[in-house]
Amino acid sequence: MATANTVSNAQTTATAARADLLIFVAPMPPEQLESILEHLATEFQGEELLVATPNDATGTAYPQLRVVPVQATNAVWPIGAVDYVNAIHVARENEAKAILMLGPGADSLSPAALRGLVNSIAESKSDFAVPHYSLPPNAGLVNSAIIYPLTRALFASRVRFPLSIDMAFSTRMAERLGNTAQRFANQNQPDAIVWPVSEAMVAGLSIDEVDVGTRLLPQPAEPNINAILSLVTGSLFADIEAKAAFWQRPRRLLPEHRSFPAVPPVDGTVDIAPMVEAFRLAFTNLQEIWGLVLAPNSLLGLKRLSVVEPAAFRMPETLWARIVFDFLVAYRLRTINRGHLMGALIPLYLAWVAGHLNVVGSGTDAEVHVEAVASAFESEKQYIVSRWRWPDRFNS
Amino acid sequence: MDRLIATMLQTVQNYNPPPPITNSTGSLWTHISDALQQSVYRVLSLFIAVLPGILAVFVALTLFTLIGMALSSLLRRGLTFVKFDERLQRGNPEWTPSSSPTILIARGAFWGCVLLGMIIGVSAFDASYSTGTPLPISILPYLTHLVGAILVMIAGTVIARFLARSVLIGAVNAQLQYARFLSLGVKWLVLVLTTAMVLDHLEVGGKIVELAFGILFGGIVLTLALAIGLGSRDLVSRSLEGRVDKPERVPPPEIVPAPVEPIRHETIRHF
Repeated sequence: MATANTVSNAQTTATAARADLLIFVAPMPPEQLESILEHLATEFQGEELLVATPNDATGTAYPQLRVVPVQATNAVWPIGAVDYVNAIHVARENEAKAILMLGPGADSLSPAALRGLVNSIAESKSDFAVPHYSLPPNAGLVNSAIIYPLTRALFASRVRFPLSIDMAFSTRMAERLGNTAQRFANQNQPDAIVWPVSEAMVAGLSIDEVDVGTRLLPQPAEPNINAILSLVTGSLFADIEAKAAFWQRPRRLLPEHRSFPAVPPVDGTVDIAPMVEAFRLAFTNLQEIWGLVLAPNSLLGLKRLSVVEPAAFRMPETLWARIVFDFLVAYRLRTINRGHLMGALIPLYLAWVAGHLNVVGSGTDAEVHVEAVASAFESEKQYIVSRWRWPDRFNS
Repeated sequence: MDRLIATMLQTVQNYNPPPPITNSTGSLWTHISDALQQSVYRVLSLFIAVLPGILAVFVALTLFTLIGMALSSLLRRGLTFVKFDERLQRGNPEWTPSSSPTILIARGAFWGCVLLGMIIGVSAFDASYSTGTPLPISILPYLTHLVGAILVMIAGTVIARFLARSVLIGAVNAQLQYARFLSLGVKWLVLVLTTAMVLDHLEVGGKIVELAFGILFGGIVLTLALAIGLGSRDLVSRSLEGRVDKPERVPPPEIVPAPVEPIRHETIRHF
């Protein structure tokens, strides 16, 4: 069977040598690459490390770093399946014990953050180290609204950024991720999103979250929220659907042992009126479609929400959890076309964003609200399990 | 007087009476009866000619339905016995259909048999009809047109609904106030087009349908164009105004605007 491995044998054999750590650097501008190489050269001085990157590293100011070229991919955000395949292939060739993957814009990560991620694996603390970013309250909203609560409720993982673009993992995790990514590549989906946290949870591998401070997260190449939200949420729903046998079993969330620094509030205001208006417009027009997807109680909740003034607008956490779960069930059942389904979720997501920004604007810490949302998802898990098994029970 | 009487008697003697009414009615009834008998004969002949074909359709359909049921049951039991679902799940864990693969295969086999029976039945009917009857019947070719028209109608309705939903969701997410109107317009455009195609396929209406379709289609497009044009009037005006180069307004020297703290509108970042 043809594989999507894009690393040529000539390249790998030419540079094959033992390296304790392989660092994969995603495609990025030359100045960012130079900055990352500087961080690596200073932080990992004297250590055996190998850098694999599709960027052109000729003429770099750090010749002591061994750089292996891999074929460039189209994936800019997030890291695509074929990038995992390439990185893991080079790691195997060079017998690397740990892999550090750095996404676009990783030059904003401090050298200490890179060291923290690597140490988590090197000191055998975990198989998979994920960064915990300090983002402002108005950033990473899809993660706060959908990805984090769903991952936490269904896979019992406290990882705050399940779709992080920087990570470190052991060879065991590499084996698992490599298989999954290779499958996507074989299915001619080289840019497919891989969900490493759920993979690690299903495989029973340990996960560590490392505080890396602030980071400039790259935004998707596609500026249209409609397209990118559909892409990410659709991929997450597909992953959840594929792992239904795992998450339907009761699973206890491990207690939180570590605390992360609070995120400083942001100066300035965000005008939420357009988002509320978008929700109201959708409520007027999309009732027929929402009626096919949502349970009657959720529709009633939306009706009440549609008459709330923007200043007091807030999506109840339980209502939001049920809405996302209803969409997840509809995705599985193909109640309506999946493209339509994801499109119908967008105004509801904007309503959640409006409510979240209102809550944050009222002085509540953003993380407190996100944790409340995640808790609501956890407490409603029985609802999704029941709906998943007996979807028709909730239609009346 | 005598002459008059003689003339009258002559007239009576020369009178040639028409044939009796009873004889004439009998002849009419004979014609009607003949016509009816011939008609009944024709219909019965036709019926007798196509009866084997009709029976063949029913027999083939029933037989293959029974075979399909048996095959479906056998497949279901056999695949369950060899744990086909579990093996397939191991081979391709990403594929999770709403029904199990065993049920899908069993259903496929059943409906395949039913379809095969229908094809064989129709084929037998066609053979018996074309060879057995000496009389032309125009309704049978028309039936095939009817089936084609029904398929066109179903496809048109499905496409209309799909496009209407696509437009509605896209327009709502683009925050167009006339999203529903746009969606309805697209839906009716496709439905009108479908109806015209169906009528054309059935050969009903001829030129009238084409004319009516042209008027309706054009009317809907014009209505949509007017609605969108009028609805976006302000947008277009603003856009045009923005393109006009305005002279830079310099404030009079004696009026110095006080420094104002700008209101910051933080942008939200979804990712």
